Amino acid sequence: MNDGAIVCVRGLRTHFGDVEVLRGIDLDVERGEVVAIVGPSGSGKTTLLRALNYLTPFSHGEVVIAGHRLHPGMNERAHAALLRRVRTRVGMVFQNFHLFPHLTAVGNITEAPRYVLGIDSAEADSRAMALLERVGLASHGHAYPHTLSGGQQQRVAIARALAMDPAVLLLDEPTSALDPRLVGEVLAVIADLAAGGQTMVIVTHEIGFARRVAHRIVVVDGGLIVESGAPDDVLERPRNAATRALLAMEEKTSPQRPRVAEKKGFSLPEAKR
Amino acid sequence: MTRRFLPALVLIALTRGATPASGQDALAQVRARGALRWGGDIQGGEPYAFQDPHDSARLLGFEVEIADALARRLGVRAEFVQNDWSTLIPSLERGDFDIILNGLEVTAARRERVAFTRPYYAFTETLVVRRDDVTLHSLNDLRGRRIGTLAASFAFELLRATPGVDFVLYEGVEEPYIDLEQGRLDAVVLDNIIADRYGLARPTLRAAGTVGDGTYAIAVRPSDTTLLQAIDAALGELMHSGELRRILTRWSLWNERQDHLAVAATAGGTRSAPGTLTLSQLVLFLRAAGFTVLISTLAMGLAVAGGLVLSIARRYGGAALRLAATTYVEVFRGTPVLLQLYVLYYGLAPVLTLNAFSAAVVGLGMNYAAYESELYRAGLQAVPIGQTEAALSLGMSRRLTLRRIVLPQALRVALPGIANDFIALLKDSSLVSVITVVELTKQMTITAVDVRSWVWPGLLCALLYLALSYPLSRLARRLERRLVPVPA
Repeated sequence: MNDGAIVCVRGLRTHFGDVEVLRGIDLDVERGEVVAIVGPSGSGKTTLLRALNYLTPFSHGEVVIAGHRLHPGMNERAHAALLRRVRTRVGMVFQNFHLFPHLTAVGNITEAPRYVLGIDSAEADSRAMALLERVGLASHGHAYPHTLSGGQQQRVAIARALAMDPAVLLLDEPTSALDPRLVGEVLAVIADLAAGGQTMVIVTHEIGFARRVAHRIVVVDGGLIVESGAPDDVLERPRNAATRALLAMEEKTSPQRPRVAEKKGFSLPEAKR
Repeated sequence: MTRRFLPALVLIALTRGATPASGQDALAQVRARGALRWGGDIQGGEPYAFQDPHDSARLLGFEVEIADALARRLGVRAEFVQNDWSTLIPSLERGDFDIILNGLEVTAARRERVAFTRPYYAFTETLVVRRDDVTLHSLNDLRGRRIGTLAASFAFELLRATPGVDFVLYEGVEEPYIDLEQGRLDAVVLDNIIADRYGLARPTLRAAGTVGDGTYAIAVRPSDTTLLQAIDAALGELMHSGELRRILTRWSLWNERQDHLAVAATAGGTRSAPGTLTLSQLVLFLRAAGFTVLISTLAMGLAVAGGLVLSIARRYGGAALRLAATTYVEVFRGTPVLLQLYVLYYGLAPVLTLNAFSAAVVGLGMNYAAYESELYRAGLQAVPIGQTEAALSLGMSRRLTLRRIVLPQALRVALPGIANDFIALLKDSSLVSVITVVELTKQMTITAVDVRSWVWPGLLCALLYLALSYPLSRLARRLERRLVPVPA
């Protein structure tokens, strides 16, 4: 195991019924590193990400993350304490945000710090406001999720994960559910985090964005890592057929998408006012 | 042939269902029908009129024999009509039967509504206490005590006329004595026939004295003068011929009091009830409405808490817990709440003595908990799995996730249903009158007997229920409107 690694995956296998989704994954993530996982639909990349905090159990291999070892056969009831310790240190951002609809933006962000870490509400609130400012939503603290746009909801979700000061942030296709107009504002926030040294594992379809923000790109196909390396190496000189197919797809669809990755500076709608 | 009979058949069909105001002579109707219809309640039990334990199609009792003897003298047969004892007079007025012959005591209040024949039995009111009680001897000793009796009975009138008595009303003759044994009552005042058979048969109880007397007579609609005369004459014949004495002796009811019956003018009642609603009755109504609200609110609180526990057990519990919770829901949902109240209050009395109020709250609460749990279960299922995943991924425990994230959303989904259940409970709370709690509906039936009308007390009762439930239903509708657009 690498000393600087904060995530260390060895021989990871997962099956749903008879279907083997992950067929032996090895992956290290260094402290401060941004790793983008790309690959075709059904390749197993989301399953891999969800195995890292054991939201999806795995059947073989092991995951060492933030100093804790996860192994096959664990369950939510019997290993509740260990899983809680892991998840307290590992943040997660979902494709569909999963904000708590009965709580305001601030309520969403302060929920875990207050009730898991025991931080008092005044301090949790002021930290939540600082985080909202960081994601460009300083004036939306008292808004309920259903009054926010998809992009705004996802930025609140990112702030919610950051409030726990995670050692690693896992992002599961954070822009896939968004209206194309709103993708940019979310990617801008993530790029900002990367620049700030936040360790992240991002499952994404935004190849251009991955190229610009990630230190390393990991290509998953058929439950295996088929290619891994610096973005320029992987994307300019792809050695694997799956990578080449992915790039060809990106070429075809990119004209319709805002080419955020090509822009030089990202702007946050409110923070930079 | 049929053509000629058809109009006659139609006429018979019409007159059978016709109201007494149809102008037809009642005695002539009885003769034409060939049957004297007499109203009574077999719940009154032995020895009045009751089902033969060996042949449920047959009725036994001294009143059954009196009815048969009277009918024989009119040249017709006797036909029994079952009716709740406390509503015998309104049913007589409706024309459901021709006479009431069922331990109906002659009182001044009743005399204003029905016509009585000469009496056929002279009773006394027996004060029954627990064997070890030496403090109670007369009506005046009953001040501040809890005394049981039958609703709408002569004994009830006696107790009500005695200041400071805390009376408890029953529908059946066994239950007051059960409660006296259990210590829920200090004494029971009822007719000697009932006291002898149902009270003094219990070794723990004894008679402490006689606190009043009166007579049973047959009631007829005041307009049916010919029928009244015919029945009264027939009853007189039964007395003079010694047939009544033979019947009473056969049922061990004969005593020297009955000797004076033939000469006695009918006994007067203890008080004359007002004919319209008074302010004090209005106050009683409002108090009863308050009781309805109190019982419903406490029961609903219990139901919400119980339903929550049940629904969580069913969704998150282990196999044994799930089975237990499911069994609870099926049993409490699948049996009548009336039966559950009876079992809780009377059935469990030997091992668990709840007072009537607690039994009402617990009984309704336990029943409604079953319905609430189904509501919350649906609510829990409506919360997307992503909510749980998001909470768990923040390091929240399963318990914290349930309490802070899943339940608040599930309850929002369930809120309109909860409000609806509360309205239903408000009305179902009228059922607790079977275990002696005087709530709004019970107060209505009591007042209706007093003022000799169901119209005003009924309307007032309905208005009070509406005043309680309408704000709730408005609230339910507002909640539905407000909560539906919020996507999870």
